Amino acid sequence: MVLAELVQYVATGLLVGGVYALMSIGLALIFGVMRVVNFAQGDFMMLGMYLTYFYAMSGGVDPLLGAILTIPPFFVLGFIVHRGLLARVTGGGDPQRQMDAQLILTLGLSLVITNATTMILTPTPRGIRTTYATQAFALGPILLNQARSYAFAMALVLAAAVYVFLTRTDLGKALRAAADDPEAASYQGIDVRAMHGLAFGTGIALVAAAGGLLATYYPIEPSVAGNFIVLMFVAVVLGGLGSIPGAFVGGLVIGLVQSLTLLVLPFQLQNTGVFIVFLLVLYLRPQGLFGRRARTV
Amino acid sequence: MSFPPRTLVVVVALLLTAVAVVVPPAPAPAADDVKIALVAPLSGRWARQGQLKKMGAEMAIEEINGQGGIKALGGAKIVLREADAGDSVEKAVSAAQRVLTREKISAGIGSWLSSFTLGVTEVAERLQVPWLTLSYADSITERGFKYTFQTSPVSSLQAEQALELVTDLAKKNNRPIKKAAIVGDNTAATVFFFKPLREKLLAAKGIELVVDEVWTPPLADATAIVQKLRATQPDIVFYGATNFPDSIQVLQKVKEFSVKSPIQGVGAWLVTPEYVKTLGKEMLDSIQTVVATHPMKGQEEFVKKFMQRTGEPFMTQDPLCTYAHVWLIKEAIEQAKSADPKAIRDALAKIDLTSGPAASSFYPNRIKFDERGRRIGATPLIVQWQNGEPYTVVPAAVATRPIAFHK
Repeated sequence: MVLAELVQYVATGLLVGGVYALMSIGLALIFGVMRVVNFAQGDFMMLGMYLTYFYAMSGGVDPLLGAILTIPPFFVLGFIVHRGLLARVTGGGDPQRQMDAQLILTLGLSLVITNATTMILTPTPRGIRTTYATQAFALGPILLNQARSYAFAMALVLAAAVYVFLTRTDLGKALRAAADDPEAASYQGIDVRAMHGLAFGTGIALVAAAGGLLATYYPIEPSVAGNFIVLMFVAVVLGGLGSIPGAFVGGLVIGLVQSLTLLVLPFQLQNTGVFIVFLLVLYLRPQGLFGRRARTV
Repeated sequence: MSFPPRTLVVVVALLLTAVAVVVPPAPAPAADDVKIALVAPLSGRWARQGQLKKMGAEMAIEEINGQGGIKALGGAKIVLREADAGDSVEKAVSAAQRVLTREKISAGIGSWLSSFTLGVTEVAERLQVPWLTLSYADSITERGFKYTFQTSPVSSLQAEQALELVTDLAKKNNRPIKKAAIVGDNTAATVFFFKPLREKLLAAKGIELVVDEVWTPPLADATAIVQKLRATQPDIVFYGATNFPDSIQVLQKVKEFSVKSPIQGVGAWLVTPEYVKTLGKEMLDSIQTVVATHPMKGQEEFVKKFMQRTGEPFMTQDPLCTYAHVWLIKEAIEQAKSADPKAIRDALAKIDLTSGPAASSFYPNRIKFDERGRRIGATPLIVQWQNGEPYTVVPAAVATRPIAFHK
């Protein structure tokens, strides 16, 4: 029975962590390629949730499919945001001033998106009713929530697709080259600015898809980003800043630690476990879990 | 990654600016308008409740102004000044500070979450502005404040009365309560509700507490909590998840794990329309909650008007209370014959209303405050979900539907 309970906690933690992982790799990609700390990442996730909700309400699209359908529009949105805003404060110039400007820009973007959504869509929480949100796959005594299981599986597929894209395609290799050494990459004829746009668009599309998957079981409201943004940053730093596999594992570790913490600590201290592990990792391995090749993708 | 001091300064400045824009610039009112402040969460995770409160306040103000304003002040109109309490005590306090110092405010209302109200009433007390609140926490009126008036029955009293009611109902239903669970967040009203249950009330009734799980919102996942409910099968779950996503996660898991224990909520957050949309009415049926007030028998016409006005499918405690608070302030101003906050405070301390829109919105229909600022005789209501709508079911005298027993 004790073993079954432990397995249930591990399974629950991994399922929760799967979506954290997908949320985090978008952030890691943006940081890895552009060195931009995107505070608005959670807000794009929230917009992804709303678009999935819109698909479900207007076209009866299942949110699992809806999550995938958020990818193209959010890629375009990310690309436009990069071109119109971020490109003005990245790529050249005094790095310190640029860092300031980027932080202010993404934080400002986050405030604008949250408040505009509150004004336009009202703060009323919305939810997509799916049958699988309240059903479970039973593996003996272990119950795996169906919505979370599907979300987990799709997060894995999307993360794998990103990995393959980065490592096996010419465009992916160009992106990594632009991340590793923008100057040398540009000598090789790689359009670094376009690569940054590609990275930002992909990062935003991934977090929007994660939002869509989250919407299968989590209510949607303009302030929903606040529940996840800190965990995203912890996952990215935990995994090694900018490392995609690192961010993925970081997300899984957070879900797992949140769940296993409950075996030893009361519920009120659920996130304490996460931050203890975070501090331990930073103390013992300051570059993060996958930090040997930190700041690369 | 390290942020140099300059970066931090810029970030902090930006955040402060963001807070500053939350209080909208005040349109110039006529000189004799009476200004009332509403400090409620209009952004962040409790924004929906703030929105509902605002609807109630606006409806009352429209009625009062439409009926000729405040007669004792020559027909002066009431003007609402809203300020966003956001999602933290610090933001709530700063919003109250801002709205109460930038112009003369006669009285204030807010701030829904007891934790916010505790902070906001300190500001009101210091600035000597009378403050009406629906928040439940006992400590709100335990600090010797002169300007705070609490119309709701306090949490500990609600706990006592709710336990009494549910044990009675359980006996009538031939399912006596032997095991109870406490599940909820650690916001102030919930904490004060759970504390007496945990410390004495349950034991006094010979009820064993089998699950006691409290979290800090937001909740990451409800599996562990609901797993415990499934393992122990309590006869009643006292439930206080004020944050909507947390509550949805718990209730979805309750269904997923086929937990059959009856759920007794603590507060009006459990009876908002979005629950039906997110969970479906079948799942909500017979979940009940104890609230400070809810539309009662005799208020049908008024509720219909509210629904037409706002497009909401039904009315709940939050708009109803705020509606009553605005009317109560109006009555106090009529009696004080002045818009001066101190005079209104004195009038509120002496007021004894048994009729009118304010009194008929609370049970029993009387508004008189004791020396601590608590409404004398305040009794909670039990509201139950039935076929996708929440109805007042206890006490029977004001019930809009008979109670349905848990199957």
